Amino acid sequence: MSEPRSTNSETEGAVRLDPVIDAMIESMIVIDENGVMERVNKATQKMFGYMPDELLGKNISMLMVGSDRSRHDDYMHRYKQTGVRRIIGIGRDVLALRKDGSNFPANIAVGEVNGPEGRRFVGLVRDLTDQRELEEQALRRREEMVNVSRLSTMGEMAAAMAHELNQPLTAIANYGAACIRLLEHDPIGNQEDIREALQEITDQAHRAGEVIRRTRSFTRSTDSEREETTLSKVAAQIRSLAELDTKANNIRLNWDIPEELLPILVDPIQIQQVILNLIRNAVDAMRDTAPDERIIDVSAKLTGPHELRLEVRDRGIGVDESAAPEIFNAFYTTKSTGMGMGLAICRTIILAHGGTLRFRKNDKRPGDTGSTFFFTIPTKVSN
Amino acid sequence: MSKSSGKVFIVDDDEAVRNSLRLLFKTVNIEAVTFESGDTFLHDYDADWQGCIVLDIRMPGTSGLEVQKILAERGNTLPIIFITGHGDVPMAVEAMQVGAFDFVQKPFRDQELVDRVSQALSLNQEEHENAAHARQVLDCYNDLTPREKEVMHCVVKGQANKVIAMDLDVSQRTVEIHRARVMEKMKARSLADLVRMAMLLEN
Repeated sequence: MSEPRSTNSETEGAVRLDPVIDAMIESMIVIDENGVMERVNKATQKMFGYMPDELLGKNISMLMVGSDRSRHDDYMHRYKQTGVRRIIGIGRDVLALRKDGSNFPANIAVGEVNGPEGRRFVGLVRDLTDQRELEEQALRRREEMVNVSRLSTMGEMAAAMAHELNQPLTAIANYGAACIRLLEHDPIGNQEDIREALQEITDQAHRAGEVIRRTRSFTRSTDSEREETTLSKVAAQIRSLAELDTKANNIRLNWDIPEELLPILVDPIQIQQVILNLIRNAVDAMRDTAPDERIIDVSAKLTGPHELRLEVRDRGIGVDESAAPEIFNAFYTTKSTGMGMGLAICRTIILAHGGTLRFRKNDKRPGDTGSTFFFTIPTKVSN
Repeated sequence: MSKSSGKVFIVDDDEAVRNSLRLLFKTVNIEAVTFESGDTFLHDYDADWQGCIVLDIRMPGTSGLEVQKILAERGNTLPIIFITGHGDVPMAVEAMQVGAFDFVQKPFRDQELVDRVSQALSLNQEEHENAAHARQVLDCYNDLTPREKEVMHCVVKGQANKVIAMDLDVSQRTVEIHRARVMEKMKARSLADLVRMAMLLEN
């Protein structure tokens, strides 16, 4: 505020506060009991784009958006009547309106001053644009990380995928070669065999396409989007990909995720990423497990009134006790290949969904081996 | 294509691969029998079978390499051709080192596999005939009298009748009679033939 309008400080003989107030980065606005602006500092001018003259004597609701704007007078009126505080002494994040019509996120803190001239309210407005941008950047970076990690998981699975594609391709090549021979020998007499072989070729081409399709939907890079779904549905979509890995390693994959579990609100691809990662870790842990012991159990159940839990249980080498505190840290790995990002990213994803990711040693029953990794996920609150 | 009476025994967990192979072999007049796992194959396996085995190296349950090992313990003589996938070469090498006939990498050219299988079938046929021949020779040999056996041993060492007669202390004429009987009983067409039989018997 360029021209001191108030004379209070001078008459009271106290320190002149105006230069201090004008030096503040935050906008300071003083209003009377009716919401009319009496004082604004320099930051207000800069933040909202108005000259002080354009503000003083006007209602503060002109700096607000939406229902805050239309109902501000009511709020003040109600406070006068009931003394119930909606904002005073509490502070709130709101959208503020500039002169040019644009919005910006702001945090406001309001204090009440009772002086000889009656009740006044002092509002401090902080522009949150930069902070929000940083938060959004961090979020974007996290999502990029999650996407990259998913792609790298798929890269590691390339060998298993090549195997899975080779099956239909081999069958197609065999059927095709057989057709040529049948045609060369006796096209009429062999008609039925040829027709059947062509049908098989068609089916196997679709089968190969399906392998690609499954992979594509998983590696698609999109912004995180949550949707209401069920754990059994989400998990089912990753099962065939997980089976690529278990099959290639001679591991039996048991699947027990009841369909009737309560709905959840999640980013399906991210949850699939966690499940796939846990299964792949289980596969790695069982490299030296005897062939008839090579079993992974994936199961889910309700573990609280609003909580589901999914478990991946292996019979592998287990987690070394000295490593236990570190395994969820980024760049921690015991594998010769791999970045050590898998579990760290899984934990990030689960935390972002309001759950937890942990593990335990399998030792409840004699003969138990390996570990169980499990995560919780809140069920969708119905309203 | 093949004149062998042997069959190709296909062990592969993938139904489409199995069926396509069966049809492929049908077009070249090789009878194929398929098995969906190493375990079902081992369950049905009979040491009297003739032909060859086409074995997928990577299968759930008992793997191809394990099947090979168990078959070896059971004295299997059927040649084994492994089907391997991308990146399974180290396993294939291991299989070759313990006596696999050959391996082909998926996806393979039909002719490549058909050729290997035909070779394997011929090999098995030949071995089978040799074994039958060896049994026949042994039967004939067992029909010889002790004296005839003595004469045969001397003859295949290249000794002249005169020398044999002196060694056995009989007349040269007697040696000639024994020798003729040996040739007749052993169904030998020539001395060279008899020498081959003697070598076979030594094994």
